[in-house]
Amino acid sequence: MITAERKPLEEILQSVSSFDRILIVGCNECVTVCAAGGRKEVGLLASALNMSMLKAGRPVQLTEHTLERQCDPEYVDELAQLVTGADAILSMACGCGVQELARRYRDKPVLPALNTKFMGAAERPGVWAERCAGCGNCVLGVTGGICPIARCSKRLMNGPCGGSGNGKCEISDEVDCAWQLIWDRLKALGKTDLYEQNMDAKDWRPAGGGGPRRIVREDLTE
Amino acid sequence: MSVLKRLSGKEFVVLAQMHTPKGVNISRLVNDGRRLKGRLDAVLVPDMDNGIMRLPAMAGGLLLQQQGLEAIIGVYCRDKNRMALQADLLAAHVLGLQNLVVMPSADMDLSDHRDAKPVFDLDEVGLLRAIAGLQEGKDLGGSDLDGSPAFTTGCSLATLANGAFEAAFDQVQKQVEAGASFVLTPPVFDIERCTAPLEQLAGLGVPVIAGVFLIKSVAVARYLARNEPGAHISDGLIQRIKKAADREGEAVKIAGETAAALRKITRGVLLQTHGWEHRLPAILDVAGL
Repeated sequence: MITAERKPLEEILQSVSSFDRILIVGCNECVTVCAAGGRKEVGLLASALNMSMLKAGRPVQLTEHTLERQCDPEYVDELAQLVTGADAILSMACGCGVQELARRYRDKPVLPALNTKFMGAAERPGVWAERCAGCGNCVLGVTGGICPIARCSKRLMNGPCGGSGNGKCEISDEVDCAWQLIWDRLKALGKTDLYEQNMDAKDWRPAGGGGPRRIVREDLTE
Repeated sequence: MSVLKRLSGKEFVVLAQMHTPKGVNISRLVNDGRRLKGRLDAVLVPDMDNGIMRLPAMAGGLLLQQQGLEAIIGVYCRDKNRMALQADLLAAHVLGLQNLVVMPSADMDLSDHRDAKPVFDLDEVGLLRAIAGLQEGKDLGGSDLDGSPAFTTGCSLATLANGAFEAAFDQVQKQVEAGASFVLTPPVFDIERCTAPLEQLAGLGVPVIAGVFLIKSVAVARYLARNEPGAHISDGLIQRIKKAADREGEAVKIAGETAAALRKITRGVLLQTHGWEHRLPAILDVAGL
């Protein structure tokens, strides 16, 4: 999923300071799962904004709404009436959702309330970690299901650097060495021969090196 | 007298562009440099900003300075992060290369290494600020330098094309605010059409150096007319080359006449001959430069 964290309240307050009617829009997908921008977080942010603005002697009209999926035009359309009654939209979706609202409602300022972080998975309750860099040419089949691009600090493709020690990365004791994980997993699978194969210099075009990426499925286009 | 001093002394400067080789055969670059010594104020050595992997501008600039010419080297953001950019700038200073032009970079997808990873850690404004910071003794990490470099740094206008010039002008304005002290323009072919934008650029208060491009063939002229809307190449210009008995000579004449005309409205010209550097003396003769 796409993970995100809410921006500091002060930054959000600053960004909406010139508006009287603010529509706060959450998303029921990834940001709900990572507890950053779902219905509950929309409510919490609305309360925090309300209190801060009342305290500042500047009450505002806040409207809350959470869409099923904010990156999908089909769902974004349902906001039309609420948008008409707002001076600005405060999006609690990832950057994809913010941009979809901005594309759909061109004459309305759309402000992000979250910082979109990475594609990751939950390690344990309350902890999410990066797992995929979206490089467009998956190598997990030869790296034991552990991604060296998303999980190695140097994105090394052919084994660890000298900074790997006791299974940890030199940048932090809290970061596993991806290549240690890869080795351990290949060993467990009896596939250490895969480790011996050197990978060529990576083609970064599918990773976005050739510009913004699109997927076109002719069988699904209208 | 350095090219900067000539510019600040209100003199008209004549620059020529010379590319480094894709390889280590430097004989042509060195010979071209020797041939032009004394006829140019400086040589602009682009780096890999056009997407061709080649000998770096720093090496080319150094070679030309060893031949007694003054060099201006191109710096750009696609291939190096802020550490590498700043380190190279320190190297440039200690090697005596103190004239820079911040150039836009061609997309990696248009390069001859299409699968490489683009960096773009900084953009052109960020790079100009980094250059200004280094000159004040600070790097982008906030550390003090042991000896500050000194540079004269220019920037380049993206286009003179109608409809796109205003946005390009805004970018140049930002870059001048960030420290650029002269502006290079794309090639000018139609003086009349380009006079207004060139005057607008001059209003920024820094010298404007206009590009002069040697049209090597009718095919090149047609290509530019079709693919470069900012070129404003007229049918009349194409016909003039086409009808000439000596097309190469006519192209040289056109470039020389353009340079001479630009002398009245800009502070310098950048002659771009793209491999025909041996024709530079003839262009300068026509231009009376």
